[in-house]
Amino acid sequence: MEFKGGYAGKILWINLSEKRIKKEPLPKDLAYNYLGGLGFVSRILFDLIKPKIDPLSPENVLAFATGPLTGTLFPQASRYIVAAKSPLTDIWGSAHSAGFWGPELKFAGYDMIIIRGRAEKPVYIWINDDYVEILDASHLWGLNVLETEDIIRRDHGDNKIRVACIGPAGEKLVRFAAVMNDKCRAAARSGMGTVMGSKNLKAIAVRGSKDIKIADPNRYLKIIKEFQQRMLNNPFTPSRIKYGTNNLIELMQEIGRLPTYNMKQGVFEEYHKISGEYIRTHYLIKPRACFACVQRCGRHTAVPEGPYAYVGGGPEFEGLSALGSRCGVSHTEAVLYANHLCNLYGMDVISCGATISWAMECYEKGIITERDTGGLALKWGDPELLVKLVKMIAFREGFGNLLAEGSWRAARKIGHGAEKYVMHVKKQEIAGQEPRAQKSMGLASATAARGADHLYAFPVLDEVGFNEEIKRRFGEQYLPEMADRLNPKYKGIMVAECENFAAVVESVGVCKYGTMIPPEFYYEDIALALEITVGFKFTSTELRKIGERIVNLNRAFNAREGVTRKDDTLPERFLKEPAPKGPAKGQIVELNQMLDEYYIHREWDLKNGLPTKKKLEELNLSDVVGQLERIGILLQ
Amino acid sequence: MAVDYVHQFALLVLLNLNRKVTKIQKILVVDPEKCTGCRLCELVCSAFHEKAFSPIKSRIHIIKWDEKAVDVPMVCQHCSKPVCVDICPTNALYKDAKNGIVVVDETRCIGCKVCVLSCPFGAISWDTEHGKILKCDLCDGEPQCVKICKFDALKYVKADKVTLLRKREGAKKLSELVSLIVGEGFYARG
Repeated sequence: MEFKGGYAGKILWINLSEKRIKKEPLPKDLAYNYLGGLGFVSRILFDLIKPKIDPLSPENVLAFATGPLTGTLFPQASRYIVAAKSPLTDIWGSAHSAGFWGPELKFAGYDMIIIRGRAEKPVYIWINDDYVEILDASHLWGLNVLETEDIIRRDHGDNKIRVACIGPAGEKLVRFAAVMNDKCRAAARSGMGTVMGSKNLKAIAVRGSKDIKIADPNRYLKIIKEFQQRMLNNPFTPSRIKYGTNNLIELMQEIGRLPTYNMKQGVFEEYHKISGEYIRTHYLIKPRACFACVQRCGRHTAVPEGPYAYVGGGPEFEGLSALGSRCGVSHTEAVLYANHLCNLYGMDVISCGATISWAMECYEKGIITERDTGGLALKWGDPELLVKLVKMIAFREGFGNLLAEGSWRAARKIGHGAEKYVMHVKKQEIAGQEPRAQKSMGLASATAARGADHLYAFPVLDEVGFNEEIKRRFGEQYLPEMADRLNPKYKGIMVAECENFAAVVESVGVCKYGTMIPPEFYYEDIALALEITVGFKFTSTELRKIGERIVNLNRAFNAREGVTRKDDTLPERFLKEPAPKGPAKGQIVELNQMLDEYYIHREWDLKNGLPTKKKLEELNLSDVVGQLERIGILLQ
Repeated sequence: MAVDYVHQFALLVLLNLNRKVTKIQKILVVDPEKCTGCRLCELVCSAFHEKAFSPIKSRIHIIKWDEKAVDVPMVCQHCSKPVCVDICPTNALYKDAKNGIVVVDETRCIGCKVCVLSCPFGAISWDTEHGKILKCDLCDGEPQCVKICKFDALKYVKADKVTLLRKREGAKKLSELVSLIVGEGFYARG
């Protein structure tokens, strides 16, 4: 059945072992029940990936998906998602990114690519509209992200080719390698680049010249221009354009949520050296937008000379905090350069910085010594060391080989209590949100499907107290507690609802800036956009149910891998040690209280933290119940 | 580095505008320095003209040098001495006497694509799907790309105001330079 608009309408299946390429029409019921993006990959990978497989084996399935709004005029609609079983967490893995690659894939005529098997030799996939080919990539293997994109464009003689690829880190199976697109945009978390590397797949190069149709062209432009105007009028937009996400450094310092010294504390004395204002005035060349974006948080920066000279994309807040304050480094140019190297080699800046800072704390405590590091003194704040370690991790050289396993695995190898200092949930490093200073972020990290993650729920309504928005989205009865970032009350409800909405946002292909923060668009806006773009008529309740379905499906995926309530936890540091200084001084995370509220709101079983049979059936996931029961997971 | 391209292009636009532009009332002015490369203009152009999202069918294109962070919108300049009009063998392309817009008459066009090859801006493209010429028609006087570009990389201004606009922008930079050298409070101190 044809779609009236929005979707490209085709799924591309590629089996690298058998070198087989197949195109299939996009099933309408899949689109109707799962929307796209995260929804598509959640459903398809749940069915395709068998429980307990090795994520680096050919049995793992890697899927790239766009949403029905990707590549359209809806504000910030340029995202794609990549998913597989994660080699970092051994559970559900997914990462998303914007830039130009996702829209280009749709212009080439595909909503989704599903990649199975493993190529014998390094290959890349070349997609030019209907023409799809698996090509030899031996000349690209070993090259960094910039070189890879340049050479693919040169070889095909087209500067408008969009490339998603891995760098040396992905090839060397660094557990937190990223899929990089458009040179400096990263689908970074949970090691999706590692899976690509394990499949010997260097890159997917796309060039498209097809149309994405519009279901209701007569109403479309008028409505969408209002959306655009709302986004522009939002008081957050000017600062996004001016600073990108970098000025979050100042803001997080102010609320004591800036991860510092491996999250020992939430304030950094020298924060101004990595602040948005400092970077804007000294290193910014120009803000650069992703496809069809009015917020333009993308940065193009340069360090003109010296040992850390570079020109390139980035950084954003996560890179600055992970490589900067988290490691105690205040040398701006070194932090910028380390961030640039992560882009060049294709690594997640968060896990990379967090792993380095873990090693630094272990060194401070005497758990890691110079015998382990090959003579390196892992002192807090050493700029040269930071840059050196980033390189060593990417190429798995010396001590870097251990760190490339991620902090959880490295700590297990080191032993002697090193595990205690790993700031992780489900083996993935916690991102730049000190949970003691914002309780909802602690809960969000604990429950997120891909391990510690701020984006799966992205509960930011309490960050600076969006009271009006809380009133609109939840109701007045939740104020003032829900808006108070230090109060654990109602955070379970907030995180669960934010997860549902975030799942919808990730599924339709829209950015979380504009939907989550600033909270400009909500279900009714997405519903209207889907109506005029695709022709689907959803109510807000129906959309919310789709989001809930996706979250439950991700949870079921993890349940198959053995995840229960016991895994939804945080490092001891946040549960027992009060924050030592800053505005959140004395705070701990009241996790159990929030978790109870979360499970109750989700109608999940309080004891094991898994969806109940009734819940899954209500979400039309009866087949999932059967699958779980077959492998011995009993649901209440 | 980036600035060289930008200035060259800006100069190109200016040179072009400084030719006889008396007949055209308003001009689409491009400022690559302000362009952040989002391509909203490409999307809205195709949505308006083709009722679909299709950057390849857009009449305006952003040409990028990613590593230099240079983004240059390329679009028909409605030249005073349009090469495309001169070269068109069937007079399908002509300059509208009323407003100076270079227009294509699809009934006369034979699809020889000489105009595509000859335009110095690459502003005319060939729609392979429908077999027709695609070029900017300024959307009946309300260019959609200008409306959606809130960063003033694209402006639609009266021809006689263009040089003044440019002068003002140039002067602004100069004044910033002056205040950089002599300090912000220079004028205030008198």
